[in-house]
Amino acid sequence: MGASQISAVKSPARSLNWERVYPYLSILPVFLVIALFTIYPVLYSLWISLHRYVLTQPKSHPFVGLRNFSETIGSYYFTNSIAVTGIYAVAAVLGVIVFGLLVALFLNTRVRTAGIVKILILLPWAIPAVTSGLLWKWLLNADFGALNGLLYSLGIINNYIPFLATPELARVSLILAQIWKEGPLAAIFFLAGLQLIPKEIYETARIDGGGNWRIFWHITLPLLRPTLLVVLVYETMTAILTFDIIAVMTGGGPADATALISWFAYAEIFKNLNLGHGSALAFVIALITLVLIILYLRALRTEEA
Amino acid sequence: MRPKTSIRSLRRLGLLFVALVFLAFGSMLPVGAVQATNLNFVVWSYGIETIQSNIQNFQKLNPDITVKLQDYSWLQYHDTMVGRFTANNAPEVLYGSDHWLQEWANAGWLEPLDTHFPQVKEYSNDLAPYALQGMTYNGHIYGLSYYADTIVFVYNEEHLSKAGITKPPETWDDVLSQAQTIKDKGIAEYPIILAFSQQEGASIEAFYSMVYSRFDGPGAMFDEKNTPTFNKAGSAAAQTIDWLKTAYDKKLLDPASLQTAEIDQVKSMQAGAHTFTIFPQYNLAELNKPASSDFAGKFKMALMPGSSHATVGYVRFYAMSSAAAKQGQATLDAAWKFLEYFGGKTNGKYEVVKRWAVENGLGFAQLPLFDDPDVAKAFGAWGDIPTIKAQAKLARIKEGLTPWYGSWDVFTRAEVQKAILGQESTADALKAMADKYTELSTQ
Amino acid sequence: MNVPRTKRLLNSALLNLIGLALIVYLAGPFLWVITASFQGENELLRKPPSFIPQNPTLANYNYVFTGTIPQEYQVKGQLRSRISQEARLIAPALKNSFVVALSVMAVDVVLGALAGFTFARRRFRFKNASYNFILASRLLPAMAIAIPYYVIVQSLGLLDSYLALILVYLALTLPFTVWFLTLYFTNIPKEIEEAAMIDGCNTFQALVRVVLPMALPGLVAAAAFAFMTSYNEFLFARFLTQSINTQTGPVIIASVSGNPDASYTLISVCITLAIIPPLILAVTMRRWLTEGLSSSVTFR
Repeated sequence: MGASQISAVKSPARSLNWERVYPYLSILPVFLVIALFTIYPVLYSLWISLHRYVLTQPKSHPFVGLRNFSETIGSYYFTNSIAVTGIYAVAAVLGVIVFGLLVALFLNTRVRTAGIVKILILLPWAIPAVTSGLLWKWLLNADFGALNGLLYSLGIINNYIPFLATPELARVSLILAQIWKEGPLAAIFFLAGLQLIPKEIYETARIDGGGNWRIFWHITLPLLRPTLLVVLVYETMTAILTFDIIAVMTGGGPADATALISWFAYAEIFKNLNLGHGSALAFVIALITLVLIILYLRALRTEEA
Repeated sequence: MRPKTSIRSLRRLGLLFVALVFLAFGSMLPVGAVQATNLNFVVWSYGIETIQSNIQNFQKLNPDITVKLQDYSWLQYHDTMVGRFTANNAPEVLYGSDHWLQEWANAGWLEPLDTHFPQVKEYSNDLAPYALQGMTYNGHIYGLSYYADTIVFVYNEEHLSKAGITKPPETWDDVLSQAQTIKDKGIAEYPIILAFSQQEGASIEAFYSMVYSRFDGPGAMFDEKNTPTFNKAGSAAAQTIDWLKTAYDKKLLDPASLQTAEIDQVKSMQAGAHTFTIFPQYNLAELNKPASSDFAGKFKMALMPGSSHATVGYVRFYAMSSAAAKQGQATLDAAWKFLEYFGGKTNGKYEVVKRWAVENGLGFAQLPLFDDPDVAKAFGAWGDIPTIKAQAKLARIKEGLTPWYGSWDVFTRAEVQKAILGQESTADALKAMADKYTELSTQ
Repeated sequence: MNVPRTKRLLNSALLNLIGLALIVYLAGPFLWVITASFQGENELLRKPPSFIPQNPTLANYNYVFTGTIPQEYQVKGQLRSRISQEARLIAPALKNSFVVALSVMAVDVVLGALAGFTFARRRFRFKNASYNFILASRLLPAMAIAIPYYVIVQSLGLLDSYLALILVYLALTLPFTVWFLTLYFTNIPKEIEEAAMIDGCNTFQALVRVVLPMALPGLVAAAAFAFMTSYNEFLFARFLTQSINTQTGPVIIASVSGNPDASYTLISVCITLAIIPPLILAVTMRRWLTEGLSSSVTFR
């Protein structure tokens, strides 16, 4: 009847008010949910980080200003875990990016196995980090792990390798598991970026006499920069905040070799029962991550300009 | 046009709504019988079926009490409970261990039992000394025990006989030389395995047991005032770490030990991959369970190598949270009934503890059970009773238990690993451990 | 291209080799856990383990579905069997995971599209501040917020309820959804909705009638991300759930894998059952996902 015809055209005055209010209304639900779970926890953690809060001494929580921060940053654990996290983050991010790039290039070809890989590529991404950690922990087990079993039956090794029991190997194993879990997503991102590059550019380059490597280095990579930066930001955040996999695979060991900074924060709270230190550390981590992201975004903006 | 039915259906809906509200309120009213008291019970994952069966039996005897069970993996138990206590979501009754009793009592999370239930003291005489010590803090008793055990030295007899060795090792040097023989003959690539993963809570107990076995009497790790004694030159602890280093370097100790926790340690032994190990005694029952593996029945216990053959005894117990104490007399009464049924006597017998001993081979703190014929028969099926008894006599509690012991324990695991890996010298590792203990004590 | 035939064959042989290595790397762990779920534990602990079961057994699957205790775990002598009922909880746990993840996904897409479109198209006061606030909320490490979240949920009386998980997961996934959809909408040409707005539609109507139908790949991608994140989340699920009424898949798997009474076979069965739904999703949804992801990542 007449009602539906006039619904699209409202009186100018009403629609102007509605349009003015609409942006706020439309972001309100998201804002509320996030505020509920952000404002209180941040204030709570902030308060704790400024007080002495050791669970085994529940009767006194004196204000200590920034002492938790200085104690944490000055501790052995911090210097150890910053170093470990730094090495790990660089290696993992590099590994994921190189893996993603190579796989994307591979997926861009026409070979038969590329089709199969395209189907399988998102499987590691689809399962929980805990399950991935458990699977890899079992695969890398030094007494009955399947990877050891495979290498042994192929005659490549004579003795099982204790993948998770020496510091260097444990780090490598963590990175291996991380690449397996995160690489696929990076590959998909890169593939998307690659497929946007018009074929004409390649053809022109070849006519001009460019070899494969030169084309890749001077044309493909620069055109992939925006994608690269997105992946870089995302993967760096993931690497710094890695927790599930460490908790399941190594528990920070052996000899604290895989005690990443997020693990350190966890240990301060749940093993040392020092909430003051743990909260202070969490803020430091957030700050570091924020700084890194700002640096990346700035690099991205100069790219676009 | 407004259909007339809309008003009628609105009225009908209204009546329905009112009826539902009454029904809801009505169902919430107690109907004659007494309201059941509910106890939340948290455990680490082990023998859940047995626990559930025990709970059912308990509820049959006490129809006015319901028990809700929840479990977490042993490797995460401590951390998860810290989270729950901190967020005021404590269960009424839960498992506790002597590692953390002081930590949790100091934090105000656990309630001393003797202040509410003085009758708990009547059980003290029946308990092995290390068990009673492990449940006592500041003169108060915090639990009733369901499981207390010793750390024991176990070997695969078939491996030894294949290597032509007739007697198990008696000193730590013997262990190394026998391991070397076994390795050279190709029987096991890494004859020794230990559960020294950084995640394994019982690793400190295994380490302590190796130290105690080299030292006569108390004071091997800490003296009575809880001052570290392990960092003295040539101490039993130093010898232990040096021994571990040697075993690791000579490839007699499986390098994977640094990543192995109890479950995998037992499974590896079961598969015949290693010859010698050190673990809680009840695992021997599992290894020797008929038809469980190719080597079932071939695993034997020997006294801890070392001059004193001493070892660690530890206790795990049922504790009550402070939150329960605040809930009023009904909860306290229910909690005591629970604690007594599960960790004490029913009809004059330690029924639940005995069930664990007979069905799972769990050790126990209650000395009278040693004389029980069923227990003797059950233990005899998988272990040698004279050896078990002899080892139990030489078991002592972990020294150095304090509210910060949990933190120190976690730190120590990493230090011992660093020493074994050769990243630090033994002396430096021990010094770091001692410094950390002092630092934590002055915090 | 004048590449000689042999060179081309060599190239594709090499590429296929790489492909094979990738297939083994990507699918290997899954194939292992699936084949392990059919082998008894003694077989699994051998050195080396067999990749094709020598004595395949369905007993553990049977146990999870029907509760019949497999032969080798029955009580022998006096010692009790070593098997855990906990493994049977995987089915209800997966149901919980689904319910929570679907709810989060639905709300995420609705709220995220609403907010994302506004951020992409409209100017208003505090726009940058609120956008950055929403994104920055993801910077907090889980450790800092685990206990406060617990306290919030508990004071709302929502412990051990679907609602608690749904709310927390919304807070965790909305930032990414909003960021993603904002980018996606930014990349959709304005002309079509501008035409609709000239016809008299306001922003909301333009969104619903004109833009959403065009944005289907992006919405599906956002939905898939939200679903996957919620389905796979572990840390908060472990804290905020207390009973099988709400415990999700990852919680049960972590619990079973730490249970000394669960054999490696049983653990494999649980993992296999738990990964089937996400794997099916990943395989069937991959086109939507890649299309949605590409449009958001590429800047024009």
